[in-house]
Amino acid sequence: MLTAITRAFRTPDLRKKLLFTLFIIVVFRIGSQLPTPGVNTEAIRQAVEGARNSDQGQLYGLVDLFSGGALLKLSVFALGIMPYITASIILQLLTVVIPRLEALKKEGQAGTTKITQYTRYLTIGLAILQATGIVAMAATGRLFPNAPDVLYKTDMFTIITMVVVMTAGTSVIMWLGELVTDRGVGNGMSILIFTQVVAVFPAQFWAIYKTKGAFAFALVMLVGLAIMAGVVFVEQAQRRIPVQYAKRMVGRRMYGGTSTYIPLKVNQAGIIPVIFASSLLYLPVLATQLWPENKWMIKLQPYLQQDNAWHMAVFFAFIIFFTYFYVAITFNPTEVADNMKKYGGFIPGIRPGRPTAEYLDYVLTRITTPGALYLGLVSLIPMVAFALMEATNDFPFGGTSILIVVGVGLDTVKQIESQLQQRNYEGFLR
Amino acid sequence: MILATAIVLIVTSLLMILLVLMHKGKGGGLSDMFGGGISSSLGGSSVVERNLDRLTIGTGIIWFASIVVLGLLLKSNGVG
Repeated sequence: MLTAITRAFRTPDLRKKLLFTLFIIVVFRIGSQLPTPGVNTEAIRQAVEGARNSDQGQLYGLVDLFSGGALLKLSVFALGIMPYITASIILQLLTVVIPRLEALKKEGQAGTTKITQYTRYLTIGLAILQATGIVAMAATGRLFPNAPDVLYKTDMFTIITMVVVMTAGTSVIMWLGELVTDRGVGNGMSILIFTQVVAVFPAQFWAIYKTKGAFAFALVMLVGLAIMAGVVFVEQAQRRIPVQYAKRMVGRRMYGGTSTYIPLKVNQAGIIPVIFASSLLYLPVLATQLWPENKWMIKLQPYLQQDNAWHMAVFFAFIIFFTYFYVAITFNPTEVADNMKKYGGFIPGIRPGRPTAEYLDYVLTRITTPGALYLGLVSLIPMVAFALMEATNDFPFGGTSILIVVGVGLDTVKQIESQLQQRNYEGFLR
Repeated sequence: MILATAIVLIVTSLLMILLVLMHKGKGGGLSDMFGGGISSSLGGSSVVERNLDRLTIGTGIIWFASIVVLGLLLKSNGVG
């Protein structure tokens, strides 16, 4: 393991990429700590302390998680990657609905670039909306009901400046992410999310150690490691469907005749369903904040607490639905079967063409069921923990954060390894 | 002084948004964000892209500096 790391740093190409990624992460963290001009940092620190200890902290839970605590600090990068994620989700859903976008997607590289460009425009639009919302809430004192004076001045000019700065911050984040994708290791956006999720860990561990003592600390660590090992186990699990390629003579040379497999992962969808579900469930929360006096919203309020049984049930159902939905979007059995037929491949015992597609569909549907249940259960862990142990916010191993950390971590390591293997064979994973 | 810095900040912010949007998107959306996805970013950047990078970095530094300056000015000025 250690030799692999030194070897990674000894490869000049890879070293450059790793250092670049680290540099971007540092810039990103600095921006997340830098307060937006006009924010009274002293007042806001007290307000955040207050909010963490009350029910309010739970409402912001996930959004705050994705921003690594930057949101409640009203820093320059307060919005984090949330606008980009939301924009991507919206466009992903729209490709199913709008024929023009679907045509663009089928076009291949050029079409995808265009869709990415739309996503970026939409991100800026959403960023303006969210920045306005947050700053307005801070200015009117609705963000922290018990500490109203978090801004020095609340005149129009100051507020506009803050909104513009936050929007520009979001666009900078987008650029940083793209730079990492382009010149660093791994996928930029997911590395940035990873950074934000991990950034709060040390503080939370320290808080547990200080308030609950060494024994509870060790216990939490142990449980966390066990969950993490379980998640790694399921993430790596895959069903290998054997594929036999027929021998072909082209000229005087022999092609094919090999046997490979199609890997079908148990959790083919990754953590996207969890993010979809949480983003959707965040919408009503947002609505209650925007119109707190509306009588429908007042009725809705109790159902939005994270430890509410209905909330959990809906969250679970959403995750299962989106798992199937996302697998259906990304993996097309008919296409795979057709491709196999074209190159003379077949699954032993099953005829090529339609029967193969039906077989693949059958296996995929069955294998996704445990995958979906697993995703739902893991992401419910923190909420159940809240409800059972009254452990509110000091339980660091939320299901979503573990899924993100493990997913992104595995992915990035695999990518580094594939680059290492271009030079020598022994890597991190054996 | 505060007003001038604020105006510089707004202008650079808007410029920053514009410059970032002018870049070619290299994200690839959600699908290869979590799990899967082959890095398809082959081919070096063009001269236009490189100049755009330099311009963006320059604007970014000014933007960052004016945030810090304005923050400090407001802090020393505002009644905490």
